[in-house]
Amino acid sequence: MSFGALQNRGRIGVVAGIVLVALAAACKGEPDSKPAADPTAPVFEDFAKRVEAYMKLREQVEDSVGDLDPTKSQAEITTRATTLAAGLIKARPDAKPGDIFTTEVATIIATLIKQEYSRRPDTVTETREDAQDELPDFVPKVNSLYPTTYPLATFPPTLLPLLPPLPDKLEYRIVQHYLVLRDIESNVIIDFMPNAVPV
Amino acid sequence: MKSIVCITGIIVAIGTPALPAQEIALPMKPGSVRFLVLGDAGTGGREQYDVANQILRFGRRFPFTFAIMLGDNIYGSERPQDFRRKFEQPYAALLASDIEFHAALGNHDDPNQRYYKPFNLGGGRYRTFKKGNVRFFVIDSNYLDPEQLKWLEKELEASGSDWKVAYFHHPLYTTARRGPEVELRAVLEPLFVKYGVDVVFAGHEHIYERFRPQKGIPHFTVGGAAKLRKGDTRPSNLLAARYDRDRSFLLAEIAGDTLYFQAVTRQGAVVDKGSVARREASRPVAAATPAAKAP
Repeated sequence: MSFGALQNRGRIGVVAGIVLVALAAACKGEPDSKPAADPTAPVFEDFAKRVEAYMKLREQVEDSVGDLDPTKSQAEITTRATTLAAGLIKARPDAKPGDIFTTEVATIIATLIKQEYSRRPDTVTETREDAQDELPDFVPKVNSLYPTTYPLATFPPTLLPLLPPLPDKLEYRIVQHYLVLRDIESNVIIDFMPNAVPV
Repeated sequence: MKSIVCITGIIVAIGTPALPAQEIALPMKPGSVRFLVLGDAGTGGREQYDVANQILRFGRRFPFTFAIMLGDNIYGSERPQDFRRKFEQPYAALLASDIEFHAALGNHDDPNQRYYKPFNLGGGRYRTFKKGNVRFFVIDSNYLDPEQLKWLEKELEASGSDWKVAYFHHPLYTTARRGPEVELRAVLEPLFVKYGVDVVFAGHEHIYERFRPQKGIPHFTVGGAAKLRKGDTRPSNLLAARYDRDRSFLLAEIAGDTLYFQAVTRQGAVVDKGSVARREASRPVAAATPAAKAP
């Protein structure tokens, strides 16, 4: 079995666990009721819609800034990133934590992460980069830049397949116990959820 | 067979005479693929410039046409002046000689480096390119998402009979204090084994290490092109060579079914050299000979 299949099975297992709990709760009150649908599905759908809404806004800002082809000019790259960041921040003046990571999806994601961490063998826990030095050590803030003085901690590759997929312009990052949603090219933190990652 | 003993942080082969500074231990066969390997280079500090100067000295007698960078290409801020001080100036002579740099991203690198043309990432975080009969796989080990894994598997499968060289920032094997990236290993190694990757290069740890083939694949850590974690390697039966006393880089040559290599310090001492046979060549791995202790 491929690693990808194992990952899928892991995620299915976690989601199945959540579904079973929901089913048990449903069956308790009404023995004749139909099996409940996957309770996580609407939550993930809502998350995807929120991400999509951000991307739509982002496209508008990006259209005004312009695309970037590989260039020898680092000044051009820096200027574009800065302009894009300013535009995105301006376009979401009231952005706040939880706009994309709603309480509902944050609860499920935190569960997925905790379960994945609990399955890790000791060797992984002992050597994982996010428990070592060179760690980003700041409190994230929505609509601010990810401080360039900190490295981007390596994201656990076994965790990524379990999280809702993102467009290629966005990425998840771990900062202490926070799960951060970062716009890659502008370096803007667009949302975060606290207490997502065991520390 | 030579017996190996560890002295003051490096492995030396008893009976092997020390190579004079700047001695080329590579065969320089006609038509071979010759390249430079350097990792964790982008500090802009004196040590980076020292190493760059030593690379130039060796490059005069071992003409290579391209360099692979193992990440942490630019430490700290990434303003235009940083790219000048931490990349364009130290390697100015190489760039002027049209030496190509093919960078992988490290944990200190802004992913926007993908747009910096001299790094040859072509706007992506990961890519593959070919030199002669050698296929290189540049992997972004910072963010190994399912899309990248899918891409990697597809490219490995399609690479046919080429030499397969994978490189990225985080080492799957290391004795350094921070330890190996075992999560990455769990994801990447099965693909490397399945599709016959011949050799792996990584950086991140600021030392030099060469591991005996693990599941058939030799692993090099070449992360000392500017920074150093002095004394950070540890004895291990898995290791064929290690060096953690000064900055270092690696010269490599692939000719036919053999990869020849030579690890060099910023003082010009050769601290490891040897060769490894291609995995698919179905012949015994050639003896790799660690060189003498550096001064």
